[in-house]
Amino acid sequence: MRIDPTIWPKLHGASTHFPMALTMAAALFDGLGFVWPKSSPRKAQFHAAGYYTIILGALGTFPAVLSGLFMTRGQLLGHDALRFHHLFVWPAFAGLVGLGVWRALANDKASSPRGFAVYLVVLFLTAALMAGAGYWGGELILNS
Amino acid sequence: MQFPLEMRALGWAVLVALLSLGSAWLAAISIKAMPSFGAAPTSSAGSSSEIAVSPKLVDQGRELFGMSCSECHGDDAHGDEGPDLHNLPISNARTAVTIKKGIKGEMPTFARKYDAAHIAALVSYLRSLR
Repeated sequence: MRIDPTIWPKLHGASTHFPMALTMAAALFDGLGFVWPKSSPRKAQFHAAGYYTIILGALGTFPAVLSGLFMTRGQLLGHDALRFHHLFVWPAFAGLVGLGVWRALANDKASSPRGFAVYLVVLFLTAALMAGAGYWGGELILNS
Repeated sequence: MQFPLEMRALGWAVLVALLSLGSAWLAAISIKAMPSFGAAPTSSAGSSSEIAVSPKLVDQGRELFGMSCSECHGDDAHGDEGPDLHNLPISNARTAVTIKKGIKGEMPTFARKYDAAHIAALVSYLRSLR
């Protein structure tokens, strides 16, 4: 059975925006939850939103990465814009999976304010890497 | 000795992240080994601007390649200072743009040296590489 190769760019485009959007949403929700006053019930609500978005974002990276690998016929780095795309993608992928696992296991109950601050810094960094990966992904499409 | 939960979670997070990267690497190797994915496309990789591949055009492209590209990419285009150009995973249009504009800090621009017909010949030659 031969799969139509044009399916992979379509699947990559369809799957890759979920982890990008969810990571940025998680950064926003958890950032707001971190600075929100403790007395407000909103704080817990923001953290709950951040919890689910980061876990869904981490799960969403797998179809995005796999479809991308099929699309580029197994290129881990490549050249030109594809290389820049991958230089952002791989650390973002590892970071997002790590964040998702940490958040799923530690959650809020187990994390100290200092531990959560470190988590937030890594989350913002990962969101920035995702934005870079998205930018270079766009460059690949627009310049092709 | 019992580590706090967040430290144990950190250990798992690092482990799973590294395993995920390793899995991606293994997947890439497996995909490259699959003939239906690793082989060169018969036409362009989803490009809207097809470039006709004729033996004459390929010969012309080979000649141009020998004059301008082989110094970095090797006489057989299997790479030297520059990368191997067999089975390029990018579209014809993208290949043409790369030849025309170059890659900053890596490859010179050929926009002044070659016109569209020359670049089409070069792309045809690159597509003919097996």
